[in-house]
Amino acid sequence: MAQQKIFGYANRISVKPGEEITFHVNCDGASEAKAQLVQLIHGDTHKDGPGHIEREVDGPANGTWQVKKQFTQLGSFLEVDDPQQKLAVTGALSLMAFIWPTRTKKGIRQTILGRWDTFRNAGYALGINPAGHLEFWVGDGKEVDYVTAELPLLDKVWYLVGVSYDPATGRAEIYQEGVLNRYNSLIGKVVPYEFASHTSQKFRFKPSHLPATPFLIAGARDQHELRGPFVSDHFAGKIDRPAICMRALSRKDFDELKQGALPPKDSVLAYWDTAAGYTADGIGPDVIDTGPHGLTARGVNHPVRAMTGWNWNGRDDCFRLDPSQYGGIEFHPDSVTDCRWEVTSRMTVPENLPSGIYAMRLRVGPGTGIAEEYIVFVVRPRTPKGKLCFLVPSASYLAYANEMLSFEAHIIQPMTGQPPVVTDLDIETYEHGEYGLSTYDHFEDGAGVCFTSYLRPIINMRPKHRMSGMNVTWQFPADLSIVAWIDHMGYDCDFITDEDLHREGLDILTPYNCVITGTHPEYVSERMLDAQEDYVAGGGRLIYMGGNGYYWAVGFAGDNPECMEVRKLDSGMRAWAARPGEHYLQTTGEKSGLWRNRGRAPQKLTGVGFIAEGFETAAPYRKMPDAWHRTVSWITKGVEGEIIGDQGLAYGAAAGVELDRYDLSLGTPPHTKIIASSGGHSDNYVLVTEELLYAYAGLVGSLDYRIRADMTYFTAPNNGAVFCTGSIGYGQALPANGFDNSAAKVLANVVNAFLKSERLPGQQWSLEEKQWR
Amino acid sequence: MSDATTPKTYRWKNPLSAWETTTGNDEADSITVADPAMPWQASKGFKVETHPVGRLKYFVVWPAHGARTWDRARWWPTRRNFLNIKGLYNRKTAVAEKKILDRKPIYWLLCLIALALGPILFPENQTNALLTAGATFGIFAAINVCWTLIIGTASIFSLATYAVVGTAAFVTSFLSIQYGVPWYFLMPAGALIGLAFGVLIAIPALRLDGFYYALLTLGLNELFRVFFTTSKQFGSASGGLYGADSFINPDWEPLTQSYVAYYAAFGLLVASLFLFRFINGKRLGRVLRMAPEKREAFAAACGVDYKRARITIFLATSTALGFIGGFYAAQYRGVAYSIFDFQTVLLGLAMVTIGGIGRAEGAVLGTLVVIFLRDVLIEFGPIRYLIIGAAMLAVVLFLNNGYFGIRKQFNAWRAKKRGEWRSTRAEKGGELLPEEATEIDDKDHLYFRRYDKMQRDYLKTLIKPEIIEEHRRQPLGQHSEALERVLLYFRRAKMEDKYALRSAGPHGPYKIIAFSGTRGVSPRLVDDREFVTLDEAYHGVFMRRVHDLLES
Repeated sequence: MAQQKIFGYANRISVKPGEEITFHVNCDGASEAKAQLVQLIHGDTHKDGPGHIEREVDGPANGTWQVKKQFTQLGSFLEVDDPQQKLAVTGALSLMAFIWPTRTKKGIRQTILGRWDTFRNAGYALGINPAGHLEFWVGDGKEVDYVTAELPLLDKVWYLVGVSYDPATGRAEIYQEGVLNRYNSLIGKVVPYEFASHTSQKFRFKPSHLPATPFLIAGARDQHELRGPFVSDHFAGKIDRPAICMRALSRKDFDELKQGALPPKDSVLAYWDTAAGYTADGIGPDVIDTGPHGLTARGVNHPVRAMTGWNWNGRDDCFRLDPSQYGGIEFHPDSVTDCRWEVTSRMTVPENLPSGIYAMRLRVGPGTGIAEEYIVFVVRPRTPKGKLCFLVPSASYLAYANEMLSFEAHIIQPMTGQPPVVTDLDIETYEHGEYGLSTYDHFEDGAGVCFTSYLRPIINMRPKHRMSGMNVTWQFPADLSIVAWIDHMGYDCDFITDEDLHREGLDILTPYNCVITGTHPEYVSERMLDAQEDYVAGGGRLIYMGGNGYYWAVGFAGDNPECMEVRKLDSGMRAWAARPGEHYLQTTGEKSGLWRNRGRAPQKLTGVGFIAEGFETAAPYRKMPDAWHRTVSWITKGVEGEIIGDQGLAYGAAAGVELDRYDLSLGTPPHTKIIASSGGHSDNYVLVTEELLYAYAGLVGSLDYRIRADMTYFTAPNNGAVFCTGSIGYGQALPANGFDNSAAKVLANVVNAFLKSERLPGQQWSLEEKQWR
Repeated sequence: MSDATTPKTYRWKNPLSAWETTTGNDEADSITVADPAMPWQASKGFKVETHPVGRLKYFVVWPAHGARTWDRARWWPTRRNFLNIKGLYNRKTAVAEKKILDRKPIYWLLCLIALALGPILFPENQTNALLTAGATFGIFAAINVCWTLIIGTASIFSLATYAVVGTAAFVTSFLSIQYGVPWYFLMPAGALIGLAFGVLIAIPALRLDGFYYALLTLGLNELFRVFFTTSKQFGSASGGLYGADSFINPDWEPLTQSYVAYYAAFGLLVASLFLFRFINGKRLGRVLRMAPEKREAFAAACGVDYKRARITIFLATSTALGFIGGFYAAQYRGVAYSIFDFQTVLLGLAMVTIGGIGRAEGAVLGTLVVIFLRDVLIEFGPIRYLIIGAAMLAVVLFLNNGYFGIRKQFNAWRAKKRGEWRSTRAEKGGELLPEEATEIDDKDHLYFRRYDKMQRDYLKTLIKPEIIEEHRRQPLGQHSEALERVLLYFRRAKMEDKYALRSAGPHGPYKIIAFSGTRGVSPRLVDDREFVTLDEAYHGVFMRRVHDLLES
């Protein structure tokens, strides 16, 4: 029997009672799965904590589900909407595109554009052959005829490539010319390379056309016995302004295109102006055809736009300055932002289901490891009920979705100071490669991943999962430690997600007295940040429970809230660096990168910001002198001695993993007090790169005083306040010793105070001190 | 080692001890560390002699077409271009060049032109003898090209080739003499006979292994010889059958007759070469290259119907051989029994072997050598046969696949010698030698190898029981400088074969694995040892890395 495995996802990450959610499941080795709705309470199996806790809940979808194998279309491409088959050209034709290939040496065929059926050898296409040469081929349903350029294409160099073909004479001529300038390509003009290649060949037959073949850009139609039609032979790299003409263009015509001219008006059949349609707020995935038939090309799996084009001059560094230089669309054969699986089951959320974090638990066969899946979703209240709100950092879950740093990033072991601990689930996902990458990974051609979505199984957004590189829970399962504490304390808490906050803004937060974040709310959109800032300024009370939060500026497409975009650049602890000129989000037109580099350092909202990370040990906090001040002494009330958080599920203490520090120079509110700070971090804790102007020896835990977690508190207008733990590990410290520990005690003091609608404690101690001591 | 570099033990104090965050590693026995620049000072050159490398450009390399249009011509009616030319960038100069990937068509063309123009260049006194020998060469070369299709491409070890040719020649001669069949019918008739013969002996080829099949076909050859020499109708009295119709008019001048015979045989050879090309170079040949001898089962499992392909080739070739038999009868007005002689078979085998089995050029060259020795150097006397035997023996003894296999064999031999030389000169994991550097495009890698070697030489001096014990007690956290340096090196290793742990359950037991460094390829299990606790497992990984370091 085949190995039994089950993976799935839901169409939504946040639902209200009465709303419908659909589940999409792929299963190997079984045709039935046991489905059970569960409420997730705790997800860390560490021996020092309460272990995994879930509560089975009656639900309309519980029972046995019929499941089957489902296939995933990998790779981004453009599909042209051509119902009248205008592009099934029987006469003369010319194809052209500017390209910037990235994977010519891989030894595989790539299609740039064409109406081609790989399985049946029918149609025509311009592409790159396995030897890395430009090739134009036609098929008559049996045989293939082709013409190949003389010289191989070079990676990361802009070319104008094309072909003119006249079936009457059978003559097909390749046009390949380099269009690199001082900025747009990997290399410059000092290299003696010759780029031009013009080869002609007399074809022996004319292409035949099948009605079902789509015209694709960056892919070709293929067929599989079980799967049916799909797209293969993907192109990796950028394509700019592809076009098709209905006559065999001359060399002179092409030379004019090379100068930036439009294809000849009288013969153009379709001209996809990849630079058209930009607004100040970005651009969508669809590409406009300015030709006579308006054959719009639809983007699948988010081809990356807002990328520099063939004519980028190196001066205008944003598409908002000159969209015409931003016609580059980048394609990746291994990108997936929507698995597009059939619906396996659907459920209307029961009206009486309290707000919380839920999952559809699916089990086949042994029901453990890869034979068990949790499809996680948040049930938000129909109307706000509690005074406490847990803001689920779903944007950050997306950023880390299916990360595989342990397998691919050689920096992960020096960074974490330990060998990774991987499980069968990690190996299965890595080997399978069909559930997509995180924004911490690279595509196979080395480009960083900038789109991530939840319309695919996310193995690390599950209870019990441990991030292999660090061997601790991370993001979702780590946040469950806070959820378990809230549950243990018996607070009446509502759960909402980043997605809800992004969509609805401030209004969603105002009903609550206190909002508590996850352990690592690292990725935030402008609307999320605005809402939280307005909430605090308007009298809201925010508890920032983590480290390295409010860090990356991200965007969501208006019609695709399930898909998030981020570009990593300039500075910050980053897995990759966006190329010059490609620093702006296609989804919103904003500059991505760190909020700090956009004038909104996290210190301005929370009082603290990222300072260091380290992964093998953690340290406790010790009360700072200000903790005795009566304005804040209530926070540490009941803590014996000065040490706080000396236990925890993440390396044994509360201050660890990623740490935040108070910094007036970055906008920490001037009246902020440091309640407690950690210290004595090992040399695996290193200073973050955005703090670095000059690098020098000794920027490590035992040698740099800045490397610490600061627990801070300040009051805001209208009785608002912000309390920060300044450490990711704080959340994982809460369940230690049966929730009876100093970290949990401090947090309880704060939450209890924040939940009360009246004035905050200690406010009356605000006169200038006149001291005898 | 001098005092400065000999590590001394001392008691290391954890800088975090004041904070009480040392996680149990307040202090530890450790060793002093020497200056990390030590190996750089100790090693200032290669330990072996270095030689200049590079190959002189002693022939013309054509530049690529660049902006000029390159109109490519094809072999009508195929899609194959006249020459398989590829453009590439010279790795030393980055200049675009042309390379002819397959120069064989040029050589073939030159050789065929030489054969076509040969008669003009023959010395006058020997013209007739050479034309006669040339005609014989043409026919035998055609036969051998067909034969090499059977032995080489189809891997059927048949020795009945001359039996097919002979039978077709005898029967067609007989038809011509008895029934006055004109010469132009002899070849198609011969082809039919060849096909019938092929069908007859194809069946046992499916059931018998190589050696037994060779014996069987040899037996058939003998059987036919005895049949024809003893049968009256086939001229047992005259040593052969003569008087068939011919395309060579006996009224022509003798020299004209010789010319016609020569060019007719030349035409036959060219036709056989086309046959070879269309079988060996197309689908059938490709299918069978998937199914070489002793690997048939694998090919069959891949869906290759190798038996059908082999038999198809066998039948097509037998038909061609029959055609040649008819041609033979028409050219020589009949045929002698000597065609069935064991000597003929052996000489044919010599021709095929000398050039290299399975190649048309091998069959042609072998035939040329043998025919030249036998029919042109007649004054050498019987010693000719000794020379042929010696040539064949030499080929069998020293060459893997005849004269035309020499190049490949030489390259393989050179590669072997290169490997031997390098193994005596290069240090495992050490710096790359000038000759190895030529093969690496990323020159950064050359420096990495130098750096890595120095680093390892240095770190080896730090592997002492003290730091191993320190790591065993406390795998994670702050460590003494000696241990920290070793760990930092270990952690920075490349992804390929980098160690990690695999946990069977949520918290162990653990086994050591190594990553592939290739996307989508699972890590491999390093060994079966199981660790119960995580700290033991971390230490297991450490010990493995120490072992690898000391081994390198």
